[in-house]
Order: sequence, then structure tokens, then C-alpha cells
Amino acid sequence: MRTLNHFHKALFLIVFTLTFLPSGRLLAQGLDPATIANPPADSWPTYHGDYSGKRHSPLTQITPQNVSSLTLAWAFQTGQEATLKSSPLLVNGILYFTVPDNVWAVDARSGHRLWRYTYPPNKGQHIGHRGVAMYKGWLYFTTPDAHLISLDAQNGKVRWNIQIADNEKGYWSTMSPLVVRDHVLVGVGGDLDNIPGFLKSIDPESGKTQWQWFVTPPAGTPNATSGGMTWMTGTYDPELNLVYWGTGNPTPVLTGKTRPGDNLYTCSIVALNPDTGKLAWAFQVSPHDTHDWDAVETPVLVDADFGGQPRKMLMQTSRNGYFFVLDRTNGKNLLTVPYGPVNWSLGVDKQGRPIPNPGKEPAPDGRLIAPDEGGLTNYRSPSFDPKTGLFIVSAHPSWSIYFAKPADGTYGWAGADYDVWSRGVIEAIDYQTGKIRWSHEVGKDIFAGVLTTDSGLTFTGDIAGNVLALDTSDGKTLWHAGTGARMDTSPITYELDKRQYVVTGNGGVIFAWALPESVQ
Amino acid sequence: MAPGLRMKALITGVVLTTFPFLAAQTKTSKPVSQWATPAVVERGKSLFGQNCSFCHGREGFGGETGPNLMDSDLVTSDVRGNKIGPVVRNGRPENGMPAFKLPPQQIIELAAFLHAQKKKSESHPGGRRGVSVSDLQTGNVEAGKQYFNGAGACSSCHSPTGDLAGVARRYRGLELEKRMLYPKNATATVAVTLPSGQTVSGKLSYQDEFTIGLTDESGWYQSWPANSIKYAISAPAEAHVELLGKYTDDDVHNLMAYLQTLR
Repeated sequence: MRTLNHFHKALFLIVFTLTFLPSGRLLAQGLDPATIANPPADSWPTYHGDYSGKRHSPLTQITPQNVSSLTLAWAFQTGQEATLKSSPLLVNGILYFTVPDNVWAVDARSGHRLWRYTYPPNKGQHIGHRGVAMYKGWLYFTTPDAHLISLDAQNGKVRWNIQIADNEKGYWSTMSPLVVRDHVLVGVGGDLDNIPGFLKSIDPESGKTQWQWFVTPPAGTPNATSGGMTWMTGTYDPELNLVYWGTGNPTPVLTGKTRPGDNLYTCSIVALNPDTGKLAWAFQVSPHDTHDWDAVETPVLVDADFGGQPRKMLMQTSRNGYFFVLDRTNGKNLLTVPYGPVNWSLGVDKQGRPIPNPGKEPAPDGRLIAPDEGGLTNYRSPSFDPKTGLFIVSAHPSWSIYFAKPADGTYGWAGADYDVWSRGVIEAIDYQTGKIRWSHEVGKDIFAGVLTTDSGLTFTGDIAGNVLALDTSDGKTLWHAGTGARMDTSPITYELDKRQYVVTGNGGVIFAWALPESVQ
Repeated sequence: MAPGLRMKALITGVVLTTFPFLAAQTKTSKPVSQWATPAVVERGKSLFGQNCSFCHGREGFGGETGPNLMDSDLVTSDVRGNKIGPVVRNGRPENGMPAFKLPPQQIIELAAFLHAQKKKSESHPGGRRGVSVSDLQTGNVEAGKQYFNGAGACSSCHSPTGDLAGVARRYRGLELEKRMLYPKNATATVAVTLPSGQTVSGKLSYQDEFTIGLTDESGWYQSWPANSIKYAISAPAEAHVELLGKYTDDDVHNLMAYLQTLR
């Protein structure tokens, strides 16, 4: 009988396995970090969607031909005053997204809430929040007072809470960490004080620091810069085993008097080994910046031909107004071209770096400069469309008057800029020449990022609160929907149960857009 | 907070919002030092740090994109948040400032912090930041006049004895310079031709890619799908944008010097 019992148990197991396993749904285990490099269609496992930062999806259910039928699948009200600025993660059919001090887990099929986590009141900087990262069954959430919280993804319960940096010294964190194997990479913000920026690698299980890479020397080093904040998520090349990160502006922000020279490694794109934190190479996009032009915009990784040769490239539309193409194996420059009005440089040096014009440093009687302090673009995600070779960016042509005088001192901002004029434009840049193939105006300003899909669609938003679907080939509008609030997020997309969703955050509401079930 | 205090704070907030003149009456009866106690100022400092410091700087002297609040007329004329409150709660969407739906007590705390900061900045004038009128006096009047009538072609739209007569009395300092470079709130008009051939004109009140809205002579707002009509927008102030890429900084300062003579 005992043998029979065992036999029955084994038979049951076989039947059970055959019946339920093919769905792949019963054994949800959280996120295997190895899948981030090639995410399945039913996931968006990291801030940029994958390691490349292209924010381009292979999904093709929604097409230029049928997008006019796109409709609301569901909406989720955060009920919060804070504007959504995060990109949701999607793992195992659950979306995770944030505003400062808050994380939600929401069913990606229906939009109903599973749990919400609220961080206790704190004195940190509440300017915005970009979202969580995930490793196995754990989420990683940065806080306004520069802590990193590990949450149980099943229920939002706190596993541990560690300090990334000292909030009292002026640090905060708004970024979505990057998970590379067993490293959780976190960065910080903090332009109000003369403090050094850094990138830290945290052990996903213990919360212990694995390594810390400083962008600038310790605070108080004579004739040296501080700053170089690391407040946006980087990208990663698994083959080269290098992470690519953009660093922020030097401090004091608007005067360079106390920090002669290039101010390495501020306003730079750096390549680091994720296992050791060792610098492989750095390319400075704004030597000796005095205009607050952080170079933290997504370092997009593209493998394609350049000048007739196959290349492993890194592309950035930088806040300083220039589009850069680098060879990401060694950081050598392939192209530096402005993608809008820029009047602060004397040209480009042999290494491909713009040469700052000393006459355009902020001055007591003001200097009229393009772009403004917010830059020609900013944290808003761009997208690279491989079929057309277009790098599509949410651009902000602008002019501003920059002031700095001795009375402004040499700490923190140390000056001010006053905006004069700006426009919001979606621009499609030919990556091989820097030429703008098309541009699409979206109002007097712009806050939405860009997503492209393999079917030839570009999703973004205008300043009036419309979500837009454009034809990637020519920038023409194919569909729109008014949401009543500006989009401060970059769209994502995924497919569940053979239905493709595009998700946007407008104001404090998450919208999931899909084709009507009859059209699919 | 005790329930009684909360109620009192709520009532104060409602009264201040609904009857601003009542708030003005408290101006003489209640000096800042009485309601802006050190504890209230400290709470305001914390709120300011969390919500406002990114744009306006930690001390309110201005930061990324947000202006210096220490030389703001709004802060100067504010009493217990009666001026600051509506701006914080409604935002200034036209200038990119979001709304912060703070409860009345927190508005008072924010106002208390700003008043305390302002007092502090005035007692240390050497350290005060911002752009003063005296900072903007480096130009040459004659060169500015030449630019106005020559290279800048300003005189093709403007006249020192017509629309610009007395402009330096109406605006000064940075406000005058910003308006000179680009008058952000200049009126644009639109002439709409309906499919029937009928035309409607008025002030352009709304425009996105899909909708055109105008306010007609009688004050009524009307709108149409942009693709169902023909329309022509007249926005003469947009000519200023062409000049932004042409000015040298000297041109700007000289033009400022000339405009400041039009008193």
C-alpha cells in the first residue's frame, strides 16, 4: 500500500505538472535578473524596459493602421497630489510604480490595487520619483532622504532600510535603481550643497555596500569641483560587462571660479565595471559646466553600422544641446552635433567635446543663452527606432538669461537663470549625421518621454495633456486622447493574454491603453 | 494637533481664502512676530525644504528654474499666507509651477518661513541674491537706440513715442528686460473661417494640435476641432523669437539702456 501511495503521489505530480505548467503562471518566482537583458513581451522589468535604454518594444499588435481605434483599457487613480514621474515595472502581471514616499502594486490586467507602501514622513527632497527596481522577489525603492528600502514584492512589507547618503548633508534620491546580476546600483541628487556625487553598488540580499565610485573629490578639496550627481538610471552591456552612467553638473552650479579646469567627472558619460566599480573610460560632454547641464540623460546603447562599419555605440541627446555618438567599447567620439539652438560653445575639440565660451558664463549683467537651465532635453526618455535609424527625443528649444555675481557666493546655486522663451518639440534625429528628419511641436514646453514600437509607432504626450501616437516614419499624429493632465512620464508597453497595452502616467493617474477586444 | 486647534486652523483657512479683506485687517492687529513663532518658522522651513527648495533654493533665493522669492512683491505684500496661499494651492501653470494642496496651517507655516527668511536677507544685504535694477545698467543708450532703429528693426513694430512711451515707468529691471526679449503674455488673435464661409475672430484663448479656442468680442469662448476649420493666427510678438539667436549680450544691454530712457 505504501508503494501504491507513493505511486499515486508521483502520478498526481505528473498530471499536475502537465496540466498547469504550460501556462507558466503558477510558478511565479519574482524576477530572475538574467531576463532583464532580453525581457519577454509580458514584462517591463527595469526602468528603461531593458538594459539598452532604447525604450523600443518589439510588440506589433498596435499598428499605424489600427491605432486610431486605441481606447482606454483601465485607469488607476493614485489619489495623490504628486505628479507621476515614474516608469512602472511589470513582472508576473503586476505593475509597480511610485511617487515620492509611495509605492503601488497594481494588477496589470485590470488596474486594481494589490497593495500600497507608504514611507514615513521625512524632511527629504520631494521633487519627484522615477520608480522601483526588482531582484527575485524583492523591490528596491529610493527615498527623499536618501535611503534605499527593500520591499517584499508580494505584499509591500519592508525587508530592510539602509542609508545611501546623509540627507542632512544635502543628498536625496529619486532614481530607479539598476539591477545587474547581484548588484543594485543606486545614485543620488543634491545640487543645493557643494557635495560629491557617487554611484553605489548594494548587495540585493544583505543591503551591504559592495563598492562606491565617487564622481568628484571629497567636499572641501581646494580648487576642486564638487557635484556630479547620479540621479538617473544608467544602462548596461552584458557582453562588455560595463554599466554606462551619466553624471550631473559641478557645484557651485552657476559659477566656476572656485573650480578651475574641466571638473572631471562631472557632466560626463562614464563606463564602470559593475563588479568592482572600476572606471573603464569617461567622456565629458560639458567640460567646466556653468549652466546646470547634467549629462544624466539616458546613455542609449545601439549596435548598428556607423559610416559603413558595424559598431557598438552609445548615444545621448544631452541637456547641453548636443547629440553625441560614442564607441562604447572605448568611449571614443564618433559624432557631436547640436539638435537645436545652442550658443554657448566655441565649437567642438578634437575629442568631440564642445568647447565652452568663457563669454557665455553667467555674469552680473546677464548672458542670453540657449538652451535654458532645464536644457534642450532632460530626464525624459528618448527612444531609438532600429528600423528607421531615428533617435527620437523630447526636445526643449529654449533661451534664458543667466546671472551670477560675487554676492551670490560660491555655494550651491550661486546664481540664477530666468527663462525667456521655450517650445516643446519631438525631434527625430538621423543617428549617422545628426540631421533632424522630422519635428513635431507639442506646445510651449514638454515633460513627456518617448516610446517606439516595431510596428512603426511613437508614443508620447503634449503639454495640454493629450497622449499622442505618431507615425515614426514622418512624425504625423495618428491617434490622441485628452487625459486632463500633463504627461510627466515616459510611456511603456507590454503584452498580456495576447493584448498589447501602452501605459502612460498623466498627472496622478495611470492610464492603460489597448485596442478594443473586437479589433485584436 | 488637538481637534479644537485643527478646527480653528481650518476656519482661519476658509476665512482667509473666502474673505481676503479680513486677512488684510489683521495686518495692523497682528505683527509677523506674533504668528510666525520660531516653531512655526521651523515647520515652514521643513515644508519648504521638501516641496519648494528644488526650484526656489533652500533659502528661497532661487534655484533651478524657480525665481528668487526674497525680492518678490507677493512675499512682501503677504499677510499670514493670504497672498502666498493661493499661489501655492493653485500653482502657476503658465510658469511651470505645480499646485500644492497644502492645508491652511501649512500655508501659514510656509509664509512664516518666507517672512523670516526675507527679514534675514534684508539684515545681510551683502549676501542677498537676485537681480537688482543696478545690475542691468552696463549698456550704452546711444548704441541701444541705433540697434532699435537699425539692426534690431524694433522700430518696424514699436515707437518710443507710441506703444513704448513711458515703458520704463511701467516696468523696471529684470521684468523690463524679460518683456523686451519676449513678452510671454502678449495677446494673439485668430481669424476662423467655418465650413459655411462664416468668419469668427477674437483673442486666441486655447490652442493645441486638435482644438482652437477663441474669446469673441462679446466675451464668449468658442472652440472648434482644428481640422474642421481654416484659421489664421496673428501673433506679432513672435517676431521677438527671431532676434534671440541674433543678439549679442552687448545688444541686449544697450537696448535695455535705451528702453530705460523711455520714462
